[in-house]
Amino acid sequence: MGDLVFDIGYGHFLVLAAVLFVIGMAGVLIRRNALIILMSVELMLNAANMTLLAFSRMWGDLSAHTFALIVIAVAAAEAAVGLAIVVAVFRGRRNVDVDRLTALRH
Amino acid sequence: MSFEAGDLGWLVPYLILAVVGMVLVLAEAFFKGRDHTSLAGLAVAGCVASGVASIVLVRQLAGSEQHMLLGSMLVADRTSYVLSALFAFTTAACALISPAHQKEHGWKIGEYYGVLLLSASGCVMLAHAANMVTVFLGIETMSIGVYVMTAMRRRSRRGNEAAMKYFLIGAFATGFLMYGMALIYGASGTLSLVEMPAAIARTHNPGLVIAGGFLLVVAFGFKVAAVPFHMWAPDAYEGAPTPVTGFMAAAVKSAAIAAMIRVFGTALGGDITPFGALGWASPLVVIAAITITIGNITAVRQDNVKRMLAYSSISHAGVLLVGVCAMGLGSSSAQASLVYYLIAYSVATMGVFAVVSYVGSRGRERLLVDDWGGLASQHPGAALAMTICLLSFGGMPPTGGFFAKFYLFKSAMDVYSGQLLWVVVIGVVNSAISIYYYLRIVTAMYFRDSTQPMAPTRSAGLLFVMAACPLLVLELGLMPGFWLKLIGG
Repeated sequence: MGDLVFDIGYGHFLVLAAVLFVIGMAGVLIRRNALIILMSVELMLNAANMTLLAFSRMWGDLSAHTFALIVIAVAAAEAAVGLAIVVAVFRGRRNVDVDRLTALRH
Repeated sequence: MSFEAGDLGWLVPYLILAVVGMVLVLAEAFFKGRDHTSLAGLAVAGCVASGVASIVLVRQLAGSEQHMLLGSMLVADRTSYVLSALFAFTTAACALISPAHQKEHGWKIGEYYGVLLLSASGCVMLAHAANMVTVFLGIETMSIGVYVMTAMRRRSRRGNEAAMKYFLIGAFATGFLMYGMALIYGASGTLSLVEMPAAIARTHNPGLVIAGGFLLVVAFGFKVAAVPFHMWAPDAYEGAPTPVTGFMAAAVKSAAIAAMIRVFGTALGGDITPFGALGWASPLVVIAAITITIGNITAVRQDNVKRMLAYSSISHAGVLLVGVCAMGLGSSSAQASLVYYLIAYSVATMGVFAVVSYVGSRGRERLLVDDWGGLASQHPGAALAMTICLLSFGGMPPTGGFFAKFYLFKSAMDVYSGQLLWVVVIGVVNSAISIYYYLRIVTAMYFRDSTQPMAPTRSAGLLFVMAACPLLVLELGLMPGFWLKLIGG
């Protein structure tokens, strides 16, 4: 069965992933709330995963599929540690604005 | 893919660290409220066992012999074992200086030793990495452990802040790393670093290799704290507990360079990929030159010893990047010179941070250069140890740092038609600049009077590290031939 509107190929997935990556990167650079920055980083990782999966199918090779699964698992571990750090910072300051982290600046 | 039990024999150094690390995390549950010195003892024993196993295994291998392990995920060669021994002993030094620091500064947390060894196991995995999956896993195992250790002083505002900055920048870098790896996979169709050069040579998409290479330069730039990706480093180094700072500066940075040796030196090296305006070596060598210079110039202005050492380690990262470029551009001696530099740098770093832990006590860290006045008259041994390690940082003979810089710059000169000559000149000029701020600490220790009596932290482990590191630095400088033979250079 053909696609109703147009054929969706690898290029579409790759462009979508690239757009997601740029959105994530912009989010990290622009937003100042640590939680939003964490979400933006997850967006970047998911963009990389989508790229891996598209290329994996293109090459007919399963190794990148497993790589993407490993990345998801590791990203979850990283987010757990990150959220713990965010909670620790919040307890001391009642906010998680990265621009107000100035105790270490000279 | 194949799994052979015989492969595990080659992975004993890694397995010891990982298993002892997990045992330590479990053991902590039964040590609630008790003295953690015995946990530190187990950690040191595990690290030493792992280091000795690496040394035994390195002697089983001929010069350029390589064994592919676990379905080509990992590789066992002399470089990987020398580096894993280095990481194991660096971690042992860190575990030796930690109990006294924990006691004096009130952060007695037993899990620390388990996390430390697990993080070290990530470093060892990077030393063995032969696939992009293991590079990623190694970097993450190492980094997540170090985020936890940086955040360990939960009530400390500075500790929290350092951990937050380190974590956010580290996670950001992971995004670049993954996307870069995905693009290179798209161009080559393989994740294996060993098959990569051949796969890249027949690719139809050189643009993907170029973009992926640039993204990896950014990702590793963050990881080794190269300018302009270095802003997290001084804050993280200052806010982390001093033994953790030593681990970050020595083992973590060395492990990131070890991964760069595999990724840039081997997988993306060769006759085409690094060269030209669009090759990865062009941005990397510019970054290296800027890193050496900015790191040194900013270090001159620092009054806080830990921040000064952070900027100094940034400039050392720049020198190491010159070596990585030289290796990618085909210099045959670059790999051995990088490993030698990592050894000399890590040993001196652990020595320096041991002295920094020694000087502070009872919740007061005494980190300003002014606080160090008169150290030589009250504690001549500590002042001498610090001086020897700092001279090694500055590249003065007869220390290991001099020969490390000499070999590394020499290997950079070997590159075809002297392409790296300009950056070698910058590196040598900067070594001279760096002497200035290292001597600031030395002058304070020897020629200034103390403002108040010192009550340094005393413990057998700390004193042992303070004595062993300077001796090793001198030995590295006086008998470099032994070490180069071990590395296989």
